[in-house]
Amino acid sequence: MESIVIALFVCLVLALISKYLSVPAIPFYILAGVLLGKTGLGLVASDEISTFFSEMGLIFLLFFMGLGLKPERIVSNQKAVMITGLIDLNVNMIIGFTAAYMLGFTFVESLIVASAFYISSTAMALTSLIENRKLMLKEADTIIWLMVFEDLILIIILALVSTGGQNLIVFAVKILAILGVLYALAHYGKEFLVSILDRDDELPIIFTFAAVLTTASVSILLEVPETMMVIALGVAFATTDADAFEQHARPFKDVFIVVFFVFFGATVDFSGGADWMMMAIICGLAIVSKLISGILTGIFIHGSAMSGLEIWVNTIARGEFSIALAVLYGTPLVGTTIAVLVIVTSIIGSFAAKYSKGLRRGLVSMGRRTGPPRRVHHAGR
Amino acid sequence: MSDMALRSLNLPGVGTKYEFETDKGDTVAIFFTKTGRIQMYTLQKDCKTPSAAEMTPVEARRLGNILTGAIIEADQESVEIAFSALADLRITIHTYFIPDSIAGKTIEELQIRAKTGATVIAVCRQEKNIINPPPSFVFETGDAALVIGESDQIKRFEREIMVA
Repeated sequence: MESIVIALFVCLVLALISKYLSVPAIPFYILAGVLLGKTGLGLVASDEISTFFSEMGLIFLLFFMGLGLKPERIVSNQKAVMITGLIDLNVNMIIGFTAAYMLGFTFVESLIVASAFYISSTAMALTSLIENRKLMLKEADTIIWLMVFEDLILIIILALVSTGGQNLIVFAVKILAILGVLYALAHYGKEFLVSILDRDDELPIIFTFAAVLTTASVSILLEVPETMMVIALGVAFATTDADAFEQHARPFKDVFIVVFFVFFGATVDFSGGADWMMMAIICGLAIVSKLISGILTGIFIHGSAMSGLEIWVNTIARGEFSIALAVLYGTPLVGTTIAVLVIVTSIIGSFAAKYSKGLRRGLVSMGRRTGPPRRVHHAGR
Repeated sequence: MSDMALRSLNLPGVGTKYEFETDKGDTVAIFFTKTGRIQMYTLQKDCKTPSAAEMTPVEARRLGNILTGAIIEADQESVEIAFSALADLRITIHTYFIPDSIAGKTIEELQIRAKTGATVIAVCRQEKNIINPPPSFVFETGDAALVIGESDQIKRFEREIMVA
């Protein structure tokens, strides 16, 4: 119990600092975990309560993600979303996997590292677009839809990794059946759900909490990973009143996710002798590979490599989903690597996003100075 | 061809976007973000970088009032509404904080209606609203009175009642 109190208190202070500096809080939470946990002061160690809180954090994070995935939205502007998504997926997965495998991770470990390497932080990307007032840039739409695409890929990754030896087809049928049942419940029970959500007493919040928890518990019965179940619940509930559910689930998510981040940080163990060289390579590549995918996207979608730079700076940060993968399927070494990856990329990403205007301007003026002079003549006409 | 219609778009995880292009080719975009704040971007024709302003909901509503022409005076405590259908009837609603000089007096004693023509339609006292106060209503210091009338009547109210 003391662990959680200490952790929450430290995070409160860190959250204040990060808001004051307007940088994302996630790397701070993980760092706090590292400093307070095994590797550091040893003040925070996971116990039953913190484990439960962390699980809740993950479950609510995924439920929230499900709420945001309105299937009918994805159908519009399909082509651009597909191109962007596939470039991002292929470039980063291939670079991530090759690097991890060559650095000595096993095949399965490499897959997890590559997935964590691939998936940018939706929370940090969207916050950066809003905070840095970039919503009107044409690249902003591309980035927002890219995040949705990545979420979908994450679901597929979760499904593939968590089959755990079950027959893939049986597993897929199970998931689809559950999604069908939840959809039917949301569809036929819509009036009832809305009538509960519309109340202004404590009922909506109790209902939301209970629904998410029940779904997670039922998953054990059905031998389906709870992660898939809560995402499915989110997707189904989004067809009723997604905003209301978001509003009622947010307090749980916000508190539990902090515990999740801190205790993830606390389990990180450098005592076995961290391979700093290996981690530096992974982090460096993580930044470079998003630059490559960003520039390719910029050229293919917006016809400009400069646009690619803007996409790059906002997608450098890896975050909540990378950590989720580490917690769910990572070995200790994978967990440590992903922790470092998230801390480094999120800090560098947040600064790059903040100063991207200067970066772009600098590159443009540099290009003018070194570039062939004929361009200037054309511009003059 | 510029698309004159107002486009609205739901952006997953961000909020709702409204965008339209003016006759002259400038673009205005408004984002109602999930953070609760509202961002307004304007992009001048042939310009690459938009400028942005972030507003709280209250500030956004104030801006909205200005744009619809409801606020004529810059004074934020006064709103003038024009009813063009009713022979350009212009009604002003003004808030005043009751000074010590008229505290303890009733609406009847002050002869507000007779002297100025304006009407006190509501009084806000310590977070409570009293709608349509009766003539026997006694003002207290710190009350905020909402006065309605034509702008001449409001000016008279200011001269005769507030200063007297």
